Amino acid sequence: MTAGADDPVLAHPGQDVGPDDLGQPLLRMTGIVKEFPGVRALDGVELSVLPGEVHCLLGQNGAGKSTLIKVLAGAHRPDHGEILWRGEPAVLASPVAALRLGIATMYQELDLVPGLSVAENVFLGHERSRFGFSRRGAARAEAAALMRRLGHAEIPPEREVGLLSAAGQQLVSMARALAHDARLIVMDEPTAALASDEVDNLFRIVGELAADGVSVVYISHRLEEIRRIGSRVTVLKDGRTVASGLPAGTPTGELVNLMSGRQVSTVFPVREESAADERVEVLKVEGLTRAGEFADVSFTVHAGEVLGIAGLVGAGRSEILETVFGARRPDAGTVSVDGVRLKPGSVSAAVKAGIGLAPEERKSQGLLLDLPVAHNVTLASLGTYSTAGFTDRAREMADSRAVLEKLELRPADPRRLVGTFSGGNQQKAVVARWLVRGCRVLLLDEPTRGVDVGARAELYRLVHELAADGVAVVLVSSEVPEVLGLADRVLVLREGEVLADRPAAELTEADVLDIVMEGSAATELAGVAEEASS
Amino acid sequence: MSVAAQAPPADERVGKPGVLDRLVVRPEIGSLLGALLVFLFFSVVTEQFLSPGGVATWLDDASTLGIMAVAVSLLMIGGEFDLSAGVMTASTALVTAILSTQLGWNVWLALLVSLLFALGVGALNGWLVMRTGLPSFIVTLGTFLALQGLNLGITRAVTGTVQVSGMRSTDGYSSAGFLFASTFTFGGTSFYISIVWWILFTVVASTVLVRTRFGNWIFAVGGSALSSRAVGVPVMRTKIFLFMTTAFAAWLVGSINILRFTSVQANQGIGLEFQFIIAAVIGGCLLTGGFGSAVGAAIGALIFGMARQGIVYANWNSDWFQLFLGVMLLSAVLVNNALRRRAERVRR
Repeated sequence: MTAGADDPVLAHPGQDVGPDDLGQPLLRMTGIVKEFPGVRALDGVELSVLPGEVHCLLGQNGAGKSTLIKVLAGAHRPDHGEILWRGEPAVLASPVAALRLGIATMYQELDLVPGLSVAENVFLGHERSRFGFSRRGAARAEAAALMRRLGHAEIPPEREVGLLSAAGQQLVSMARALAHDARLIVMDEPTAALASDEVDNLFRIVGELAADGVSVVYISHRLEEIRRIGSRVTVLKDGRTVASGLPAGTPTGELVNLMSGRQVSTVFPVREESAADERVEVLKVEGLTRAGEFADVSFTVHAGEVLGIAGLVGAGRSEILETVFGARRPDAGTVSVDGVRLKPGSVSAAVKAGIGLAPEERKSQGLLLDLPVAHNVTLASLGTYSTAGFTDRAREMADSRAVLEKLELRPADPRRLVGTFSGGNQQKAVVARWLVRGCRVLLLDEPTRGVDVGARAELYRLVHELAADGVAVVLVSSEVPEVLGLADRVLVLREGEVLADRPAAELTEADVLDIVMEGSAATELAGVAEEASS
Repeated sequence: MSVAAQAPPADERVGKPGVLDRLVVRPEIGSLLGALLVFLFFSVVTEQFLSPGGVATWLDDASTLGIMAVAVSLLMIGGEFDLSAGVMTASTALVTAILSTQLGWNVWLALLVSLLFALGVGALNGWLVMRTGLPSFIVTLGTFLALQGLNLGITRAVTGTVQVSGMRSTDGYSSAGFLFASTFTFGGTSFYISIVWWILFTVVASTVLVRTRFGNWIFAVGGSALSSRAVGVPVMRTKIFLFMTTAFAAWLVGSINILRFTSVQANQGIGLEFQFIIAAVIGGCLLTGGFGSAVGAAIGALIFGMARQGIVYANWNSDWFQLFLGVMLLSAVLVNNALRRRAERVRR
């Protein structure tokens, strides 16, 4: 191994390897199809990775990236398609099989055992042992050598992994991949949890790995990273490969165009006109700030208006909603409903003022899955259903039934356990809770996550109906077409900063993606818009 | 550990922690402090405690509990519980006693069958837990109740009473008794051989835990079964083996008991399962698995033995023992917790 012998200059491996002089690919996936009940997550994906290249995978949320890497990691078996590994057909039957073959995957949530040491984690499952006795000295020495190769000799191999920082744990995960002699390392948004100096180190390591002939499949939403370390790019959309083997230097506009224009199988219900009543300011947020999450966020939502918030996961979208709802205490800034300023960091004040939240983690944060729908629906307004502490079950049932019918929740049986409903109907149950309370402001965090296509259309219609009734709606979604299709006005966030606040009609999907991924909106926006329209 | 003698780290943020800090992250540190305190306390307060006979008594008291606590600690590090462990010590003794006194079997043969019975129950526990995905707390609660009923039912059906006695007159009693229930003299005082079994079991368990590949797997499956499976650790096999180890320990303790006392009550052993868990927790095991120490569990049992006998020597009412136990458990856990927090701070 010659790593570290030369200057740790950022290598741009494989960039001189043009798409024309392809050697035999290390990995070639063709026609990969993977279906889940109701969804075709992968619909004929092609991916070809050369030895020693950093191959970037681009695509919007829901494009199929996660499913693809799970197939690569052996966690999902594809329904159809062929995988060639070094020219030979391969079956990735289990995570262990993939690992044995030489494919290591670094998930965003690293799968290390926190109680074990660095060395023990690196060699877990393929321990250095003799007659069953661990050769701890050998394992430590090898782990130390790997950490040195990764540029972090100061992390001792006997240290407990749970006590390392996120960056340190990532290095251990990478060391494990190297210990398995991986020929291909899949990295799923590895920079998401890293500070900038750690990012530099990661890039140096990725460059050195590639120089050693290890291939990397690199997933990131940040185009600048792809420019810096990528060799080639494959773009996924709707479970299909729309472009493969593009040079990493492909202009932003082109990449964004490839990713956008997704066929959303759901038609957004057309609204004749916005229900927004400009005269009634319902929710007013001013200068809301939480250190490290988002800064100086201000917006106003009028009665009947739908405000969409777009941005990547981690841009601070959910955090803003939770702060407005009082579940997080702001460092600065105010939230007012109908001109009355709310007590900061108090959920009960927010609820009293008429704010309702349908949280992102519906199952863990939104619902009591083992209780009937009726109890879930009246949960936020139990006070109005009880006298001297006793609940009026008959009225609870009657009102629940009424709201379930209004929302077309099926089956409209208030006695049924919420956990037995489909995702879309569960989401309706959460919304029903706030309708029963008569809310003024409804905060929806990823309302269609895990909801099948048909039920989405119903949820979209529901949002419009709520708006028509004068409710102020704030919608957070990772799916840009959803935000653009539903909202009257859109805030675009990037790393906790509001970069745009515009009417939805003035924005295209490409504009939003561009702002979100590169932040170079101001300069490139015009050009992209032209390209898109031409 | 001999890793301290290396070049000084370049980055002091993540530098090697000092001796104290490294000692402090050992799981058994809390129990060690506790054992020292209890030892000193009763050494000062009573005279008998430090006498050779006194030492032999509290070591003996700790020994059978210690064997179980060590096995249970391995299981807990592996992320599981066994509530049937206490009753198992009676079941195994009953099987041996009934076979040899009622059916006239040779004691050695009875012991062998009893061992197979124990391993079978352990494997069943493990298989049920792994197969159904139910918490081991519930599964072994079921085994616990079932064994309790079997113990009473079969004993009464066979003997008409709720105890089996008469081991002394069975074939092979003396040779088996020599192995499991004899005494040996050391420095003029006689000690029960169960103490040797305890030490041996602790040494073997601890070696397996910290020195072998299998020991590594125990920590791994307790720390994160999913991650372990993903890198090829045989999670099911590891956990079933741990349940069988606990059952084996119960057989060993049952054999020691039946051969020493020559009779066994059908309702023996009930409630002991919590003492095993308490000793393991005092010894640094986390209820969530993935962390702990076999030596710590042995020390936890030692604290039990010292306190139980020390209270007798001090002429206190033994009613106070439970109070003492509660305080001991809470303080050991608090100390462990505080030290661990400190360790995490040091590492940042």
